[in-house]
This record gives sequence, structure tokens and C-alpha cells, in this order.
Amino acid sequence: MDNRLKIARVEMNLTQQELADKVGVTRQTISLIEKGKYNPSLKLCLNICYTLNKTLDEIFWVEKGIARDENTKNQR
Amino acid sequence: MKIQRIKDERLILKNLQNIRVAYVVQTLGILGILGYDYVTKGMEGMIKNPLWFLFIVTTIVLAFLSMNIRVDYESSKKSPERSLLFSVIVLTLICLAFGIFTALSEGFKVMNGVVIGGIIFICGLVPLLFLYGIRKKRND
Repeated sequence: MDNRLKIARVEMNLTQQELADKVGVTRQTISLIEKGKYNPSLKLCLNICYTLNKTLDEIFWVEKGIARDENTKNQR
Repeated sequence: MKIQRIKDERLILKNLQNIRVAYVVQTLGILGILGYDYVTKGMEGMIKNPLWFLFIVTTIVLAFLSMNIRVDYESSKKSPERSLLFSVIVLTLICLAFGIFTALSEGFKVMNGVVIGGIIFICGLVPLLFLYGIRKKRND
């Protein structure tokens, strides 16, 4: 799933490792979320948003059509 | 390096998936050993192996845990009481049939039939009550 996590993280001058330490996950997980290869739980999304001072919308919202395309792609 | 408790949700999930793979391997191993026992020592020899008991217990645990999942797929319109009543009636009929057939078989007394029927009834009643408990909890 596409997201704007990388942009938000760079804006806050955080490395993947720093963000990971703050939200309590490993750096690899942050990397996978940024690449859209891991679907984080709502709890983790919220923790990331609190750390980066953003809302869920700003980082994770995608338009319905795009999200659906990705879902069908994953199912194939 | 200090060993830390895994808190990363992705790794916890990965860990569970690994355990699932290990479970599959273990089950295949157990089945292999039991199959070998069956071929070399026959049914009796296989049942004597403690792995047989382990295999049966694991299967029962898995079946009970699966009920939790199956209940969520049922439509909520079904009343738990009616389902339980219906299941108990069917179970009673099955137990009666078993008991009567046992009692009528050669070399068995009426008492044997009652015992066999009773055992099957109790064994069948436990999962039904368990299922009833889950359904009741879901409907609340």
C-alpha cells in the first residue's frame, strides 16, 4: 500500500532507525512499510503518526480506487 | 548482544508463521513414524506408541480451537439454545443406536450397551457444550 511515511519522516529529520526506536519496532519494519510491502496494524500506524505529529490521513490515506487496485493485485 | 523480548508486530507475526511451519513438519514426522509402526507392527503396535496419544490430543485441541473460528462465520440469527437442543437430540439418537447394536451383539450384555452409549454420549456432549458456550458468548 502506497504511503507518505518516508516524506514525513525526512521532514522530521529522523532516520529509519530513530523512528523505529521511538515507535518500538525494528528498522526493517519501517523500511517495509515505506516500500509498501508490509501492512501495519492500526496501533502501529497511530504510534507512527503520534511520533511524526501527523494525522493518519496525511500519511496513510489512499483514494479508494487505488487501494482496491492494490488489493486485487495482492490477491492474484 | 542482549536478548530482547520481541515487540515488533511484524516479527511476532513472522514468528507465528514459523511455528506453523514447524508444526506441519512435526505433524508429518509423527504421521511418518506412526505409518511406519502401522506397517511393521500393525494397528495394535501403532496405538501403543505414545506418539499416537500425542497426535490424537493435538488433533482434538486443534478441533476445539477451530470451533472459535467457525462460530464467527455462522449467521447470528441461529439461537444457541436451539442449535444445542437439535445437536443433543441427534447425539442421543446416535448413542441409542450404538448402545442397542452393542447390546444385541453376541457376547455383549445390556450393560455393555448402556456403557458404550453413555461414553459416546458424554464424549459428544463436551464439544457441543463448548460450542454452545462460544455461541452464547458471541451473541451477548
